[in-house]
Amino acid sequence: MPSASENQRRSRVRIVDILLAILVTLGILAYILDVLALRWGLSTTYIAKSYPNYLKAAWISLYVTTIAYFIGMGIGFVLGWARSVQTLPLARVMAARRREAVAAADGGSPGAGLFLGTVFVYSIKYYVRRTADAYVAIIRGTPLFVQIVFVWSAVIVFYPRLDPLFQGLLSGVIALTANTGGYQSEIFRAGIQTVHSGQVEAARAIGLSRWGAMRYIVLPQAVRLVIPPLTNEYIGLLKASSLLAVVGSVPELTTFGRSEAFQTFHIFEAFALVVGIYLLITFPVSKVVEWIERRYRVPGLGIQAPRTARV
Amino acid sequence: MIRVEELQKRFGALHVLKGVNLEVQKGEVLVIIGPSGSGKSTLLRCINLLIEPDSGRVFLDGTQVNRRDIRPEWVRQQVGMVFQSFNLFAHLTALQNVTLGPVRVLGTDAAAAEAQGRKLLDRVGLADKADAYPAQLSGGQQQRVAIARALAMNPKAMLFDEPTSALDPEYIREVLDVMAALARDGMTMIVVTHEMGFASTAAKRILFMDAGRIIEEGSPEEIFHRPKQERTRMFVGKILR
Repeated sequence: MPSASENQRRSRVRIVDILLAILVTLGILAYILDVLALRWGLSTTYIAKSYPNYLKAAWISLYVTTIAYFIGMGIGFVLGWARSVQTLPLARVMAARRREAVAAADGGSPGAGLFLGTVFVYSIKYYVRRTADAYVAIIRGTPLFVQIVFVWSAVIVFYPRLDPLFQGLLSGVIALTANTGGYQSEIFRAGIQTVHSGQVEAARAIGLSRWGAMRYIVLPQAVRLVIPPLTNEYIGLLKASSLLAVVGSVPELTTFGRSEAFQTFHIFEAFALVVGIYLLITFPVSKVVEWIERRYRVPGLGIQAPRTARV
Repeated sequence: MIRVEELQKRFGALHVLKGVNLEVQKGEVLVIIGPSGSGKSTLLRCINLLIEPDSGRVFLDGTQVNRRDIRPEWVRQQVGMVFQSFNLFAHLTALQNVTLGPVRVLGTDAAAAEAQGRKLLDRVGLADKADAYPAQLSGGQQQRVAIARALAMNPKAMLFDEPTSALDPEYIREVLDVMAALARDGMTMIVVTHEMGFASTAAKRILFMDAGRIIEEGSPEEIFHRPKQERTRMFVGKILR
């Protein structure tokens, strides 16, 4: 274990490293800008004048992404939980019920209603799980671009009288939500399955219900494990929201940049702004999440400092 | 206090419990020994319904509890359990481990639960470790927190599933001392263990289990020194050496 002062020294080194890296990057960017602006005539006045409009477009990207992300998180959690549960074969469930019923009736014939009820509940559970599996397979097995185009086509064909902006927003949010829901369910499933089964057993042993064990024991541990992949998913989704450019009627960042480029012919300026703003959003997001991760880190849980060997 | 009649449990083709009967009086300490795979752990888990028995009856204070109309959670609140691998909640401090049950299951208010939790940690000799996380505690300390966690629910009885077999030798004593103190205070206990010292001093009765059945029952003296059954003699011979 490194000592506290050692840790401090290391973190100072890290800060210096990061600053250095940022300086070098900025230097390169400044050089590129210099080449573009002075030798190719990149218009700084255009950038200064129109960057507020780009920021406005970026807000739309952020709204759509964030709404889809959080609704998708609800879907992902439910699907992930459903897919993480181990189900027994129906034959064994039925055999257990039969033995139980025979024992309860003390030799008398058990009622058929009990068995029908068991089959009913069992089939619902079974098909919920299979449906979840199929959903995830479809979402992960097809391009997001196709999903967006499909939802959008469906919306404009079935609701042609809606405002085009609303049509675009609606199909964008639906497609992105469905997509991220599928991916997040895989993240949650992995997180839930990684929590040791002894934790659930201990939780049930003090009298917590299934949901109580999930809420107070499994989720808090699983969430700590899945924060990094969930962050990746958010950043990925934000970048994926640029695919909404195909819809055309939603003035999100990429769409706006494209139309500006074609209308004003300030192509390099437009895309410098678009790229810069994406970076401006994604970089702090990962930093903020890193901070959250440190803040809620618990000794012995999740990613640990390596003790001896590194891979 | 606890009575088990004709308990049967199968896991697929594996017949783990083949009709087990036992009874424990209030304040009694019952020790169960037997080779691994003999069904001891399954028997304990059937008593607090962590595992649903296939047939047979489990009684708690004279009430049959393995019935459809009785919530298993209600049974588990009253029968504490301590596991071989401790199973402390990894994301909670020692104190939070102890107070979670009272607050979330019994609805005790947080301040009262904390006061009780500190008292229980003091009782197992860990008052100064209240804010430590499980990964920062030794095995023996973790197991003592686990005992405090079970006690926090004010259980009528306690089940111990090989509480010392995952421990380094130097930590076994401290856990057994806590258990012995519990027994002296009149706690009803069913203990699966191979600690002969503990069994001899704390228990009046010992059950020997093998292949899903109770083979022999007797005082520690009888089981360890004058076993009647051949299988008991062979097993005891191996663990006493």
